[in-house]
Amino acid sequence: MKNWYLLLISLMAALALFLILSLFYGQNTQKSPDIDDPIRIVLKSMDGDPMDFWDVVNRGIEEAAREFGVQVVVTGPRFEKEINAQIDIVNRAIELSPPLLIVAATDFRKLVEPIRRAQKLDIPVITVDSGVDSDIPVSFIATDNIEAGKKAGTEMKRLLAGRERRDVVIMSHIRETATAIDREAGVRSALEGENIIGTWFCDVEQEKAYKITLELLKNEKLGGIVALNEVATLGVTEAVEELGLQEEVLVVGFDNAMKELSYLESGVLKATVVQRPYNMGYLVVKAAVEYLSGHAPEPFIDTGSILITRENMFRREYQELLFPFGQ
Amino acid sequence: MKFNIIPGTLEARIYTIFTIMVFAAIFIMQMVFFRFTMDTVRSSTLENNHTLLRQLVVQIDFYISSVERISRTISGDLDIQNFLENEGDADPGEFREIRKSLNNYIKAREDISDILIVYHDGTVISGDLEARVNPWVSVLDMDWYRGALERGGQTFVSSSHVQNIIAGRYTWVVSLSREIISGLTGDSLGVLLVDLKFNRIEELCRSLVVGAKGYDFIIDREGNYVFHPTQQLVYSNLRSEPVPEILSLLKSREGNTYREEDRYFMVETSGLTDWHIVGVSHDSDMITDWKYVQIIYGFIGLILFLVVGLATNRISSGITKPMRHLQDIMKTVESGEFHLVGEIKATEEIRELARDYDIMVGRIRELVAANTREQELKRKSDLKALQAQINPHFLYNTLDSIIWMGEMGQNREVVKMTSALSKLFRISISKGQEIIPIRDEIAHVQSYLTIQGMRYQDKFSYLIDIDPDLHEYPILKITLQPLVENAIYHGIKESEGRGFIHISGQAGDDDIMIKVKDNGKGMTAEELEELVSGIETAPENRPKLSRQGMGLRNVHQRIRLYFGTGYGLSCESSLSSGTVITVRLPLKEWER
Repeated sequence: MKNWYLLLISLMAALALFLILSLFYGQNTQKSPDIDDPIRIVLKSMDGDPMDFWDVVNRGIEEAAREFGVQVVVTGPRFEKEINAQIDIVNRAIELSPPLLIVAATDFRKLVEPIRRAQKLDIPVITVDSGVDSDIPVSFIATDNIEAGKKAGTEMKRLLAGRERRDVVIMSHIRETATAIDREAGVRSALEGENIIGTWFCDVEQEKAYKITLELLKNEKLGGIVALNEVATLGVTEAVEELGLQEEVLVVGFDNAMKELSYLESGVLKATVVQRPYNMGYLVVKAAVEYLSGHAPEPFIDTGSILITRENMFRREYQELLFPFGQ
Repeated sequence: MKFNIIPGTLEARIYTIFTIMVFAAIFIMQMVFFRFTMDTVRSSTLENNHTLLRQLVVQIDFYISSVERISRTISGDLDIQNFLENEGDADPGEFREIRKSLNNYIKAREDISDILIVYHDGTVISGDLEARVNPWVSVLDMDWYRGALERGGQTFVSSSHVQNIIAGRYTWVVSLSREIISGLTGDSLGVLLVDLKFNRIEELCRSLVVGAKGYDFIIDREGNYVFHPTQQLVYSNLRSEPVPEILSLLKSREGNTYREEDRYFMVETSGLTDWHIVGVSHDSDMITDWKYVQIIYGFIGLILFLVVGLATNRISSGITKPMRHLQDIMKTVESGEFHLVGEIKATEEIRELARDYDIMVGRIRELVAANTREQELKRKSDLKALQAQINPHFLYNTLDSIIWMGEMGQNREVVKMTSALSKLFRISISKGQEIIPIRDEIAHVQSYLTIQGMRYQDKFSYLIDIDPDLHEYPILKITLQPLVENAIYHGIKESEGRGFIHISGQAGDDDIMIKVKDNGKGMTAEELEELVSGIETAPENRPKLSRQGMGLRNVHQRIRLYFGTGYGLSCESSLSSGTVITVRLPLKEWER
């Protein structure tokens, strides 16, 4: 009777004590999202050389996963051109119902279908580097490629000033990929008023870029080539160096392969626009963690791009960007 | 008016106060202990981390100094000095020899990326035999070249950087450069560069970290980063380190740890390189199991609280339970019963109280018993007196009748009445006993009826019909006679015609019911009620009663006195249909 009532009060008080202690101690808890399954990440290519673009993205991913205390599993096709393989990999990842899916789309349109499937299964999707033609992804973390294209174009325009050979061509890597489309648009907008004679596609093959360039170099008025990715840049520079036309034909490229940096030093390549793959990897995981913690990330996060020339390539802040540790 | 929040009972009061106090005590204790535990763990972890950091510095210093020794050896090498002094007219064979000896140093240490000698005109002799000097590099502008000249013969240790002096090769190195000064002339002959692969230092920094989120980084004397595991994040401002605070930590020497939110920074300076090596520990790594610690503490608190709660419960009930017991027993006094407390389990004080109470109750009981006995005696003697009063009237009426019958010469009747009278008296006296067998009582009332039947010739008839099985059961003497007398005088005598008195008796389950029924005048409802209330009233109060009432009341009171309050008389009557008076007696064996 009365004793029970007292016992009840003391039990309640004890429980309150326990809760208050827990709450008080809990103040300095770090909030990492409460997920059991790893976040699945499907990149464009997994079989590149160490320290290539995707490898560095991967390092950024790992660092962020470590910092935010989440698990990630990174997969992807061997090569960037294996679009169907990537679709299969994305589908398989969806079947594992991860808390979140991160995709670097190899194709702007073909990857929409698997992403729709993910949406149906309530798996949030974040795209990285290359987006898809859909507004399903909750965020898109990439280099602002239009901005990057503009940087390349502006540099080309600056270099062309006062020269005789004024024809400019664009060597794109692939059709129907958002990066290529955006970069080309950026280059064209910056080169407004210059004589752009056309865009060629090398289909992400260095050999093809080289051969096309050899043909293009027969044009006596050709004054500049803007190559839109690493492979295209290497093909173009190879041809230009072979013909010894580096003083006549100015090359502005993209990315920072070791060979490109060599060309940059020797002057075959006048400038290259580099992305920040490490930051890209880091920021995409950060955005994923934000989303899973209940905060909507920005729909588009620009990871930035930098124009590298011979003059600034050995500056301290760019050294680790261009020459990642561990080489 | 004072408002009392603490409940009224002693138990609740003890309980509440104890609970609040224990709650507060445990809470404070827990907070202090938890803090203390955390601080202890944290500071010991930080101490460990600091040791680890110092070890890292020692390793880096050791590593650099071993390479520096090589650089000293080479720059002091007389062959090399000779070769350099004779610049210009050195023959190709000697040139090859020098390169080979440099190459041997490179081969001996796999962590050395390259060894070069730079003339002051910018010419480079590389120890790597296949290497081609990068034509786009102007060596004389390099930091390590200028640094070596500034140091004047001392080793200059550069920050980490990408070495691009060899064409097509970009390696992260730390450059140790040193001006080669001729031992003979004291002239400056050139600059020796030893490039140390940075990945060794990087590996050291990455491996000697604590916890999942801890890391080390290195800044040079200007505060630039020599190494940072996430250099790109730092350069793009996605992550920032409090470099000025860390550097001021070196000067202050008050504490060796700087805290920013949940990161702890410690710094040690490498003497050889002038690098500041910063160790970062993350709070969540130091007390990895703090949640577990917290649960343990919470659990201990809970257990403690429950134990103390139970103990409090025992203590408070140990005090109040005997008191309540005592109280319950004392309360029975109110209803007139005097129970003893007896031996109880309680503290000495309570037991003493109980003993004193028992003594008191004992005395009261004795007094009450004495009082009751006295009262009873008094009433019994009163009743005896009353009983004795009845007889003389009847006696002289009967004697008158005998005289009258004697005069009439009715000898037989005289004999009959006299013998009945004699029997009546014998039974009335019955050796002074108050309780007699029913058989005797029947004989007594028979005698009475015989006498009355002779006196009131043809006025009434009667029937005695009592179960013979009951004849041996006890009854109070002179129980039935007053009832029969009452039936005759107040029933039959008052009515016209011949009356009939029926005395019947049966045994109930545990009682005996004897009915005396007449068909006389009967009573009105008011008369009956007056009679009943008169009978029930104790004789002490003595209301005025008719003679009829007196007789019945005496019988009733006597039965109750001897057999208990559950027994006695009950009446039912109505006008002109007669009266039934029932005697209820216990059905109990004769005892003596």
